[in-house]
Amino acid sequence: MIPDTFSRLGRLNPLSPFSRFNRGALAMSPLTIAVLPWGVLVGSLAIDAGFTLWESQALSAILFAGAAQLVVIGMLSGGAGLLALLVTVFFITSRHLLYSVAMRSRISPLPLRWRLVLGFLLTDELFALSSSGLSPSEQGSSAKKSADKSAAVEPEFDRWFALGAGLSFYLIWNLATLAGILLGNHFPQMSHWGLEFAVAATFIALVVPQITGWPVAISVFVALLLSVMLHLYVVPGALALAALGGMCAGYLADQIAESMSGEERLGESQSAFSEASSCSETSEEPTR
Amino acid sequence: MTFLIICILAALVFLSRYLFLEPKLPIKLSAKGERFLHFSAPTVLTAIAAPVVLLPEQAGSESPELWLAWDNPYLIAALFCVVIIRLTGNVLLTTVLGMGGFVLLSQVLLGHGA
Repeated sequence: MIPDTFSRLGRLNPLSPFSRFNRGALAMSPLTIAVLPWGVLVGSLAIDAGFTLWESQALSAILFAGAAQLVVIGMLSGGAGLLALLVTVFFITSRHLLYSVAMRSRISPLPLRWRLVLGFLLTDELFALSSSGLSPSEQGSSAKKSADKSAAVEPEFDRWFALGAGLSFYLIWNLATLAGILLGNHFPQMSHWGLEFAVAATFIALVVPQITGWPVAISVFVALLLSVMLHLYVVPGALALAALGGMCAGYLADQIAESMSGEERLGESQSAFSEASSCSETSEEPTR
Repeated sequence: MTFLIICILAALVFLSRYLFLEPKLPIKLSAKGERFLHFSAPTVLTAIAAPVVLLPEQAGSESPELWLAWDNPYLIAALFCVVIIRLTGNVLLTTVLGMGGFVLLSQVLLGHGA
């Protein structure tokens, strides 16, 4: 399979920054392709809503957040105030806090300019790729075996790989937006075509291989359930809440599975999370 | 004015992405914390994808509605994607086939689409 070949190459001969950049861009390509129609949509909707060409492009160039862009377009053209916009965007963007915590151990040791650039590029998609098996940073354990073969000690997190992934995604997103701006409202039905399914398809493709045991399976199931429920009732910050609920459930299942194989201290770990509504239904599962 | 608002909102989004990447922030993650965060990727991605599949925007309805039925092309295509990725392990192939399958399904099931 492709990722295996890549990581093997990476370990045997330390590649130049340029080829690591390219590997990142290549690994990102499914997500980049999937987001194309979305980028076009965001551009054409902005023009449609009365934004100028530069404002429309600036949304993608400096805000660079698909879901937030759509909301900003809708709210600004509807005459919403800055405070309302800030609150709404905060709820939408709150999930990025989670990404930045999760990436902290890998990115925070890097120099400032790397942190700023990778931070700016830290979209759903880049986080998805960095956390999946497609990224060399997750190959740490297997890399140890042949570490002596590569003279230069490869850092666990490949910054050039991440830059290639993030930057190529950024460029394509902006080109797609430009295409949407130029096409304008020639395709007024576009937002009803269900093009957002492409993104869902890539996410499914990235999540399914990560389900390697009961704890992850449970966390995914709870996140799915919570996300649908919270979105159904239009709860602000539904994404982040659903993810946190799923994480609680997975962590709890993990702890239970661990203590089952070791000593029995089920009671303690369960009571610690009794506040999280999502966790209760999962407590029986890991007993299998 | 619009430009200024875009810049302010961009600052907010950037801050949310950068905040915990800052080493000066006095936070030390324990092994348990790392374990907890281990579940962040699959859960966030699922949380994003689930409403797209199960609460798709339907023409003529304002509020989200659960569409758990065999004539929901999003749902069938999503299940199709699960099968392909399990069989092939190839993300790009899954995306392309999934998208193609979706377009086909939405034409067959709904009589519209691209």
